[in-house]
Amino acid sequence: MLDERDLVSKVEQLTVTRLRVWVSEGWIRPADTEAKGYSEADLARAALIRDLVDELGVNEEEVPVILSLVDQIHGLRTELRVLVEAIGELSEESRAQLKERISLRRSKKIG
Amino acid sequence: MADDLYSVLGVSKTASADEISKAYRKLAKKYHPDLNPGDDSAEAKFKEASAAYAILNDAEKRGQYDRGEIDASGQERPQQRYYREYAGGEDGQRYYSSAGFEDMGDIFSDLFGQRRSAGGGFGGARGFGGAGGHGFAMRGQDANYRLEIGFLDAANGTKKRITLPDGGTLDVTIPAGVRDGQVLRLKGKGMPGTGGAEAGDALVEITVGAHPVFKRDGRDIIVDLPITFDEAVLGGKVEVPTIHGAVSMTIPAGANTGQTLRMKGRGIKAKAGTGDQLIKLQVMLPETIDGDLKEFAEKWRETHSYDPRKKLREQT
Repeated sequence: MLDERDLVSKVEQLTVTRLRVWVSEGWIRPADTEAKGYSEADLARAALIRDLVDELGVNEEEVPVILSLVDQIHGLRTELRVLVEAIGELSEESRAQLKERISLRRSKKIG
Repeated sequence: MADDLYSVLGVSKTASADEISKAYRKLAKKYHPDLNPGDDSAEAKFKEASAAYAILNDAEKRGQYDRGEIDASGQERPQQRYYREYAGGEDGQRYYSSAGFEDMGDIFSDLFGQRRSAGGGFGGARGFGGAGGHGFAMRGQDANYRLEIGFLDAANGTKKRITLPDGGTLDVTIPAGVRDGQVLRLKGKGMPGTGGAEAGDALVEITVGAHPVFKRDGRDIIVDLPITFDEAVLGGKVEVPTIHGAVSMTIPAGANTGQTLRMKGRGIKAKAGTGDQLIKLQVMLPETIDGDLKEFAEKWRETHSYDPRKKLREQT
């Protein structure tokens, strides 16, 4: 676990004040809420927000929009991975069936 | 590392500092690894653009580079661990949002069951059943089966046994009045859950066959009943098939083709109520018209002519 100071020192251009604002906005949720302890994921997330604001010129108002989409994508990616792994465990026959269904759906949509 | 930093950013050698910044931002927005979580090549492109920008954005370094005093390499920023590397892991799950698939329907919720309880990403409820994310319990998957049954079994209800692909069996109680295409849900008869979660359900889709005599309208049964000429004129007792067996019934004198008689309570006895049987009468002449009948008809025509097509003419 990192404390506030550790995290700030590891992300260039980050200050304690900025970090606190991001936490109060809900953009970062300390892994350990009570002790305000931050995880590696929190650190990387702070670096992402720093990149968005300082490097990419994203307005602070737009940050939650981007984070929300990023969070949705990771939610989706995780479920998709579970799904794909589960499909990988199916029998050859079931997978062939699935493949057929998918191509059927695709051709329906296009046709 | 690219040989020409200007071409990496897609600007000319005489570009202003502002143009360089703009060009870099455009590339960075496109290639930032966290905005391209599934694309490994994005990281390389992003680093390349960042490295070029690190030199060209610094007037002094840019001058050195232009004069050939420094080359394009060695200016990479310290290694950054991107958020996407954590987002797929246990810890990153705290931030997940299920808003991207809330509307994907029953199959998705069947498959992912309680994991879908997540609220909306950051600031929202903690998702995925809490519990710190690891070793989550997952409800078993629902298993889908299809069962074909006869018309009478569907009307009266029955018990069927499905043999499963793995050799096991599944006993299905078919309620009276089950409809074609109806799906019966057998709680807990699907795939076993993991991590102590409950088993999924078995979903049995019922296909109901047709019957040569009986038809259905909800809980009512419809039968076309042929009657003789004399039964129509004089009335009489006839035997009528019902889904519960043959029943005797009185045809009133003067019955006619197209007339419908209702037999109360002779339809489908479902939980929600009991239907009726509707008898549609069809007056049938004998297959061969004998002399007596012919003689009678000739006489009858002379004195009793009637016009069943009067309405037809009036309405056209």
